[in-house]
Amino acid sequence: MSMRAFAYQRPASVDDAIALLGTSGASGSTRLLGGGTDLLTLMKADLVAPDRLVDVKRLGDFPDTIEVTAEGLVLGGRATLADVETHELVGQLYPALSDAAGSAATPQLRNMATVAGNLLQRPRCWYFRNARFDCWLKGGDDCPAREGENQLHALFAGSPCVAVHPSDLASALLALDATVRIRGPHGERAVPMAAFFAQPTDDRRTETTVHADELVLSVTVPPLADGARNIYLKAMDRKVWAFALAGAAVSLRIDDGKIANARVVLGAVAPVPWRCEAAERALNGSEPRDEVFASAADAALEGATPLTHNAYKVPLAKGLIRRALASLTDEASRLVSA
Amino acid sequence: MSTLHVDHLSSGEGDEDAYRLAEAESMTPWETHATLDVVGHGHARLEGPEKVTGNARYAYDVRLPGQLYAKVLRSPHPHARVKRVDTSRATALPGVHAVISGEDAPEIPFYENTVLFERTVRYQGDEVAAVAAETEDIAADALRLIGVEYEPLPFVVDLEAALRPGAPNVHADGNVAGEPKEYERGDVEAGLREADEVIEHMFTTQVALHNCLEPHGCTAIWDGDQLTLWESTQSVFTVREQVAEKLDLPEHHVRVIKHHMGGGFGSKQIAWKQSVIAALLARRASRPVQLMLDREAENLAAGNRNPTQQRVRIGAKRDGTLTAIDVRIHQAVGAYMVGGEGSNTTGIYQGLYRCPNVRTEQIGVFINTGPAVAFRAPGYVEGAFGLETAMDELARRLEMDPLDLRLKNYTGEDQVEGKPYTLPDGLRHCYDRATRAFGWRGYERPPNNGAKRRGVGIAAHSWMGGSGHPPGYAWIKLNTDGSVEIITGTQDIGTGARTGLAQVAAEELGVPLDQVAFHLGDTANGPYAPASAGSATQATIGPALRAAALDAKRQLLEAAAQFLEEPVARLSVGDGKIHVEGEPDERATPIAAVTGSIAPHMIQGQGARGPNPKDKTVRTFGVQCVEVEVDVETGEVTVLRVVAAHDCGRIINPKLVDSQVIGGVTQGIGYALTEERVVDAASGIVLNANLEEYKVPTVSDIPPIQNAHVDMPDPEANTTGAKGIGEPPVIPTAPAIGNAIYDAVGIRLHDLPLSRPRLLMAMESGKGEEARA
Repeated sequence: MSMRAFAYQRPASVDDAIALLGTSGASGSTRLLGGGTDLLTLMKADLVAPDRLVDVKRLGDFPDTIEVTAEGLVLGGRATLADVETHELVGQLYPALSDAAGSAATPQLRNMATVAGNLLQRPRCWYFRNARFDCWLKGGDDCPAREGENQLHALFAGSPCVAVHPSDLASALLALDATVRIRGPHGERAVPMAAFFAQPTDDRRTETTVHADELVLSVTVPPLADGARNIYLKAMDRKVWAFALAGAAVSLRIDDGKIANARVVLGAVAPVPWRCEAAERALNGSEPRDEVFASAADAALEGATPLTHNAYKVPLAKGLIRRALASLTDEASRLVSA
Repeated sequence: MSTLHVDHLSSGEGDEDAYRLAEAESMTPWETHATLDVVGHGHARLEGPEKVTGNARYAYDVRLPGQLYAKVLRSPHPHARVKRVDTSRATALPGVHAVISGEDAPEIPFYENTVLFERTVRYQGDEVAAVAAETEDIAADALRLIGVEYEPLPFVVDLEAALRPGAPNVHADGNVAGEPKEYERGDVEAGLREADEVIEHMFTTQVALHNCLEPHGCTAIWDGDQLTLWESTQSVFTVREQVAEKLDLPEHHVRVIKHHMGGGFGSKQIAWKQSVIAALLARRASRPVQLMLDREAENLAAGNRNPTQQRVRIGAKRDGTLTAIDVRIHQAVGAYMVGGEGSNTTGIYQGLYRCPNVRTEQIGVFINTGPAVAFRAPGYVEGAFGLETAMDELARRLEMDPLDLRLKNYTGEDQVEGKPYTLPDGLRHCYDRATRAFGWRGYERPPNNGAKRRGVGIAAHSWMGGSGHPPGYAWIKLNTDGSVEIITGTQDIGTGARTGLAQVAAEELGVPLDQVAFHLGDTANGPYAPASAGSATQATIGPALRAAALDAKRQLLEAAAQFLEEPVARLSVGDGKIHVEGEPDERATPIAAVTGSIAPHMIQGQGARGPNPKDKTVRTFGVQCVEVEVDVETGEVTVLRVVAAHDCGRIINPKLVDSQVIGGVTQGIGYALTEERVVDAASGIVLNANLEEYKVPTVSDIPPIQNAHVDMPDPEANTTGAKGIGEPPVIPTAPAIGNAIYDAVGIRLHDLPLSRPRLLMAMESGKGEEARA
């Protein structure tokens, strides 16, 4: 597929970029171009046709660094997935992040894709991605996946849309209780990951609460407590280069032989990264044992409403959660001492 | 076989009578244990340097002054009447040079009694209009400006649904495509009654897409009324013949060229519509026009492997002796039979095992999707999944080693034709080589590793291809400097055919390989050769080249006899030199001295491929063993290793054979586990006409693949003893993997692909509990 023609601009600063977004008015036909790994595919599929792209990939004041600070780990919005994957401290302290980033896409894509773009990417639902379907998420009336080929779709959906969120990194960041720094025409705001993602609504048919005139500046992951550990597991239908059939991000702490501060997040089961609080309750205060893991996994999938072709995701997600918990509590190498 | 005899030639003297055509005496096949100088060695591909330096020219690489780029507007509907096409805005777009649609195109007959731009479109992707513009982007913009008024019609995209009473008709006279193919020997019902065990199952196989790295397409150039097509094709002569017919041109006004190709796998052996469209646009624009399909078009409208439903019954005595094989197969051909689909799905049921009572039926079904065409061992791949899975199940039921059950029912005969195979022990050697190299007999299952379970599986095949498709012709020129040129109208579709064929010529001629240049893939520069399909190239053109080389060698020796003043009987050629019997090698005369002595006369050998044997059947055989690991908690299947043993007669070049085996098994792994075209039933739209959600295996999915060479010359097959290897390695992989999964976790899946969702659901429902106690 070929794209339509567009104008290209390279501003001097983040604020200039945001100002250019503002001038496009309500049509939203100016878009920020980072790594382009999602936007260009949307344009080639004729799902979006911006008049103008504003290239923020080289902006000096748009951070591309990864730093461990007193506030925690700060991932620059312009850092690439490859940066996250290969950063030594990230690998030691936050293996969930490096594993999530490293299991996404391909090396070529990870070299281009940015952290900000990864969080803002649109679903891979094959009805959404095909311009021939006027699906609800694109402003239409219905979701063709509900009664259609929904093998890759959601177990939990709070809107007409049953697409799943495709990001591996987002699940890991939610499990680590990260906060997103967003800059807009009126300054900056910090949004917890849990509020950053939101099921689409009739009035806001996207998966995030970011406004069209804002830029995702950075993501901060709070420092780890004593005994904290984390993991991300991903199931694909081939070994690499596939979006998750399901993903599981778990972070927890072992305190006096018991699980504490558990955070269990499933990816690819809902339109947003899906936090499983019932599973967390089943874990907190319990000893790390197989039966506990099993009941947490069962709790996580309670309330799942499989569609016609995706019931396999229920045992799959449970299996991933059990395995994540077992390997987190088994492996001394995952232990982090602060 | 006509060859030239040269009685005498001398420098500078034109003596036309020196040439006369004569019937060559029949050639003796190379002996089974002959020691050969060039054949049998793993020479690197002749075209390797061209390819790795990016200099190899593919259809897409053609760039000519004034060249335009074409794109095709395709139907968004699975079935609709095209009421009106308005191309006026597209025509007016600056940079657009030609537009064509059903409104103004000649009514050129195409598949199934339709025309080039049919007023009824029958699948999503069917051609509606096309434009040629100065850039691809302008062409894409122009397509968006074409207005089409469609009247949607009822459609059916599912094989099963298409057979139901009252299903929408794809064509006016119903959804049954062609005549059902029926075959019967013996008495199947009696055989089933006689059986102690009967396996009965419905197997289904999915639509697989070829996904050639290089898409279909061509560049069309008119020079007056002479058309040249640079085409990505497996058959330059077929494209020439069909395009000439469609455009009402004499064949000598059409030239088709193909130097290099990025894969065809069966999908490029006809002239598709785009070749004719490109030619029409080029004529309208008076400019060269390139029309290459993009990946979406490639996966919608350029062929696919037909889906099947196979109702199988197999009966056996307690000792494993088969008493009956009964299969009824429905397979969807898509919206049109375009030619070249030829999927013989029941063939493997008829011939792989000795069985007196066999009944097969194969019924083609139209559905509103892109046309199915041949795909690497068409039919046998699909059929092997049903048959070889059922055989494994039967072995389990009889508590036999699946290998023993297969050996018990071994046959060295073509039971359909009632003739022996030229190599009756070919398959037996494959069983032997594969299972020994794999360690089948002594396999010890490692203890469970957490949730991970190991298992092994085996599957076999016989394949009707690989025997060669005579006739086919080749020429050899010995230049006056002693260098050698091979000229034939065959094509190298990416397999390395140039190299394997050149080895045959170099061997017979007695010259080193680096003294040989190869010219192929051009209808204007070389004699006829058939399509490079059916694993036919080496087995067809190899013998033709050997004959041509023999003819050239005879002329060379006759000239050398004069030059050296020795009788021909004392002369031989080896390593690029003429040797005189009894004289030391260092006194041998370089060929160049002889060829130079007759300049400007030139030695020109001609060869033809004779017919296949009449009283015997040529087949290729193969066996694969697979070890898998299945994660019972997450449903992940990891193929750990594959050992393949394939009979391709004499191995001309072991490196090229290895690469066919590795490529075929790789495609087989994709077919087994992940590849499946998905169509939305409500809209008839293909959801994964791309490489993102149509999942071919990646390098990480491919385990070590060991080719346990079966180097058994088949001298009765042809004079080189070599048969084809292009297709067979994909045949047994999927059932071998399925059987290994069963061995690991006791779950039998009867539907391809053996996907992670399917396996998870089967494990969830506890189907595998009994198996691996």
